[in-house]
Amino acid sequence: MSAGPVSVSRRSSGTEVAPASPATPVPQSSEPVRRRPLLTPRRSNILLLLAAAILLPIVTAQAMPLAFTPTDSLVLAEAVAFAIAALALNMLTGYAGQISLGHAALLGVGAFASGLVTSKAGLPMWIGLPAAAVATGLIALVIGFPALRLRGLYLAMVTIAFGFAMYDSILRLDVFTGGSAGVELPRRIWHDTQFSDQSVMLAVALVALLAVWLLDANITRTRLGRAFRAIRENEAVAQAYGVDVARYKLVAFVLSGALAGLAGALWGHAVGFVNSESFPFDISLALIIMVVVGGLGSRVGAVIAGLAFSLFPVVLHGIAWLAGLDIMVGALLLMYTVSRHPGGFAEVIGEARERRRERRSARVQTPDDDAITIPALPRVTSLRTSTAVDPLAPVLEVENVTVRFGGLVAVDSASLRVPRGKIVGLIGPNGAGKTTLFNTISGLIRPTTGTVRLLGQDVSGLPAHRRAELGLGRTFQQIGLAKDQTMLDNLLLAQHLEAGYSTGRALAYTRGVAAAEEVMEARAREAITALGFDGREQTPVKRFSHGQQRIIEMGCALLTDPELLMLDEPSAGMAPGAVENLAVRLNDLRDSLGRTMLLIEHNVPLVLDVCDYIYVLNFGQVLAEGTPDEILAHPDVIGAYLGEAAG
Amino acid sequence: MLQALVVGLVTGAIYGLMALGLVLIYKGSRVLNFAQAEIGTACLYVAWLVSAKGHQPYLVGAGAAILTAVAIGLLFERFVVRRMTDAPRLSVAVGTIGLFTFLFAAEIYFFGPSPRYLPAPITGLGVQVAGIYVSPTQMVSFAVIAVIAGGLAAFLRLTDFGLGVVAAAQDAAAVRLVGIRLSRVSMFTWGVGAALSAVAALLIEPTISLIAPGVIGEPLFVGGLAAALLGGLSSLPGAFIGGLLVGVLSTEIQFVASGRAIPGVSSLVLFAIVAGVLLVRPQGLLGSANLRAESGS
Repeated sequence: MSAGPVSVSRRSSGTEVAPASPATPVPQSSEPVRRRPLLTPRRSNILLLLAAAILLPIVTAQAMPLAFTPTDSLVLAEAVAFAIAALALNMLTGYAGQISLGHAALLGVGAFASGLVTSKAGLPMWIGLPAAAVATGLIALVIGFPALRLRGLYLAMVTIAFGFAMYDSILRLDVFTGGSAGVELPRRIWHDTQFSDQSVMLAVALVALLAVWLLDANITRTRLGRAFRAIRENEAVAQAYGVDVARYKLVAFVLSGALAGLAGALWGHAVGFVNSESFPFDISLALIIMVVVGGLGSRVGAVIAGLAFSLFPVVLHGIAWLAGLDIMVGALLLMYTVSRHPGGFAEVIGEARERRRERRSARVQTPDDDAITIPALPRVTSLRTSTAVDPLAPVLEVENVTVRFGGLVAVDSASLRVPRGKIVGLIGPNGAGKTTLFNTISGLIRPTTGTVRLLGQDVSGLPAHRRAELGLGRTFQQIGLAKDQTMLDNLLLAQHLEAGYSTGRALAYTRGVAAAEEVMEARAREAITALGFDGREQTPVKRFSHGQQRIIEMGCALLTDPELLMLDEPSAGMAPGAVENLAVRLNDLRDSLGRTMLLIEHNVPLVLDVCDYIYVLNFGQVLAEGTPDEILAHPDVIGAYLGEAAG
Repeated sequence: MLQALVVGLVTGAIYGLMALGLVLIYKGSRVLNFAQAEIGTACLYVAWLVSAKGHQPYLVGAGAAILTAVAIGLLFERFVVRRMTDAPRLSVAVGTIGLFTFLFAAEIYFFGPSPRYLPAPITGLGVQVAGIYVSPTQMVSFAVIAVIAGGLAAFLRLTDFGLGVVAAAQDAAAVRLVGIRLSRVSMFTWGVGAALSAVAALLIEPTISLIAPGVIGEPLFVGGLAAALLGGLSSLPGAFIGGLLVGVLSTEIQFVASGRAIPGVSSLVLFAIVAGVLLVRPQGLLGSANLRAESGS
C-alpha cells in the first residue's frame, strides 16, 4: 500500500537552489507540457521582444498602409492600449482579487506624465512611456498604502472616490495639465525628429502589449502569481503559507498602476492629445467590464475583451440598419452575456477544455472516495538549520492566553506546551474555543492577554506570515487550500517561502527563478505521487472530495517543512479506512522523522492512538491535561463529554 | 450660509433616498447597482412625456414615472439578477453597468441631447422663516421624503417580510428557514430601489430645472453613493443620515470655496472626507462592525 518514502531535500538559504532533484522519476502527466520554453525562458523573451521591436515598425510601416487607412491604425492602436489597460486591471482584480473602480485616473496620470515629459520637457517618447509607468506606479503606491487595508467593496469605494477626485479636481489643475486646454503627446524619437505614421504607432503599441504579456506570464508562473491568487481565494490560507498579504496586495496594486499608466500614455500618444475630460469614470467601468467579460484572472480573456470592447462598437456602428441603436444593442448584449456566462470567455473556454480533460482522464480515474487511503505523506527530511533560540525549549508554549470578542470570552487563560518530537492533542466539545486558540497560536487572532512562544521566541506580536516563516505550519477546518487552483499549484504555493527569489527576479524570470521553479515542481510532483494522485495534478482542488482535499492539504502543510505542524480536525470528512491509515501516517511522521504536532480532533480513538499528551478545553478553559490514560480516567472530562452528548 | 443649509438639507435628503435604494439593493443582492440613478433619470422622460407633452396633471406624470421605474427594476431582477444567484458579485455589478449604459443610450436615442423642462407642480417664492426662504418645492420635498423614509422604516421594522429583507444580507439561509422566499426579497429590493430612484429624480429635477442625459443622473449617483458609504453600506438609517451630511457638506463647501483657484474643490473635499471615514471606520458611521462586504467572489 505504501509507496516508498519520498525524500525531499532543501537548503536553509533561500536564494540558491539545489540542482534539479535526484533520481526519483518525475511522473509524466497525461497533459501535454505547455509552459516549457525552447530556449532559456528569459533569453527567448528578450529575443522575442527585440525582434518585435525592430521588425514590427518596419513591417507595419511598409505593409499596414496597404491594408489599413491611418484611421484604422489609430482605432487599432487605441484598442491595443485598452488591451494593456485590461491586463493591468486583471492583474489586480483578476489575480489578486482586489477591485479598483478608479483605474481611469491611473490611465490619466500616465498620459499626463508622458505628455509633460515629451511636450513640456521635450524628451523623446521612449523616455516618456517608462516615465509614465514609474510615475503611475508611485501614485498607486501612495494610494494603495492606506486603501489596501480595506477589502472587497470598501476598497472599490475608496478607488471610486480617488477616481472622481482626480477627474473632478486634480487632473484639472493648470500645473499638471493646462486645464481643459490639455497636453499634447508628440511622438518624438530624438530632438526634432518625430514620426507621424499611425501604423508605426500601432506597431509601438503592439510591442508594448507583447512586453506586458510576457511580464504578466512571468507573474503567473512564479510565486508572485500564486501569492496573488491565494490572496484572492483566502487571505488566511495565504498567510499560513507565509505570504505577506499586505505586501503582495501592494505589489499587485503598484504593478497594476504602472501598467495602467503605460496604457494611458500609449493611448495618449496614439491620439496625440489628452485633456481633463479624457479619463472619466466611464473608462473605469469599461475596464471592469473588460476583465469580467474576459474572465477574471484570464490573460487571454483580458486581451480579447480589451480589443473587442474597443473594436466592437466600431463594427456595430458600421452596421447601417442599427444606426443610433448600436450602444443600446451593445448594452443588451453585455447584460445577456454576463447573465449567461458570469465567468466570461475564460469560463466558456475552460469548461470546454475541462470536458475534454475529464473524458481523457476518465480511464485513469482514482478509486471512489470510500476506498481512499493515504499511501504516504510526503516526507520532507528537514535540513533546515533550526531557528530555535533555545533548542531545548518546547516547540510551542502558550501562557495564560485569553481571547475576548466583545463580551464573549472564547479562550480563558489557557496554557499549553508542545515538546519537540511529540504529538499533543487538543480536544473538547464544540464551541470550547479550540479553533480560536489555534488561530491565536498561528497569528490570525491577537490574544487579549497572554503570550505565545514559538521555539523559545515570543511571537505574540508577529503576524501570521512571520510565524509561518519561523516554521509554523497548519491546516484549516474548512480546508486551507486555494480551491479554484490546481493541485499542482497548491503544492507550489506551499513552497512559497522555499522559493526565496525576489519580486524583481520573478518579473524578469531569471535563470535562478526558472531553476527554483523546476526544483519546486519536481518536489510537488513527488508529493503528488506519494499522496496517490498521479495524473490529476492539473485538476482544480475543488473537484476533489472533501477527504481527498484533506489529504492534499496535509501534503501542502508538510511541504512547508514545519517545525510545528498544527492539524485542525484532520480526520473530519475522511472515510473510516483513511482515518485508520491517518493514525499510522501521523505516528510515522513523529517516530521516523521527529515531527512535532498539535492536533485538534473529535475522533477520540484517533487521539488516544497517536497523542503523547492531551489537553481538554471546555468553555475556553483547560479543563484537564495528561497522558491518554490519565485523560480517560479523568472524571471532569467524562462529565464534559457526557454533557455534550446530552445537549 | 444658512440659506445654503436649507438647500443642503433638501439635496441631502434626496441623496438619502438614493442611498436608501443603493443599500436596499445591496442588502438584497449584495451588489452595487451602478444603474441606480439612471433608472430614475430615464423615468423623468416618462413624466415629461405624460405631463409636459401629454398635458396631464403633474401627479399622473410622476406616477407613470415611478411605475416605469418599478417595471425596469423588476425586469432587470427577473432576467439578469435572478439568473446570477451563484455568480461572482462583480459579474452582477457589470450587469448593472450594462443597464446603466442601456438607459443612458436610450435617453439619447429617443430624446436627443437637447434639454427638456418639466414644470414644477407648485411655484412661488415660498415662506420666509428667520430670514431664510423655504420654497414650496422644498417643503413638498421634505414632506414626501419624510413620508417615504418613515413608511419604509416602519415596513422593514414592523412586518415579518420587512425583517426578512433586512436579515437576508446577514443570513440568507436563516431567512429561508423562517419561510420567506429569497426571490421575493430580491424582487422587493429591486422594485422599491427603482421606485426610490424615480422619486429622488423627480424631487431633484426642480433644483436643476432641466432634464438631459447625464445632468441629473451623475450628481444623483455620486451623492447617493457618497451618502451610502458615509452611513455604511449595511445600514438604512445610516444611509439616510449620510445623505443629509453629504448634501449639507457639499453645498457648504461650495458656498465657502466658490471662486477659489482649485477646480472641483467641493468634489475633492467630499471624496477626501468619504475616503477618510472609510479608512478609519470601514463599516461607515452607523454600519455594524461585524457585517463585512465580500464582493470579490
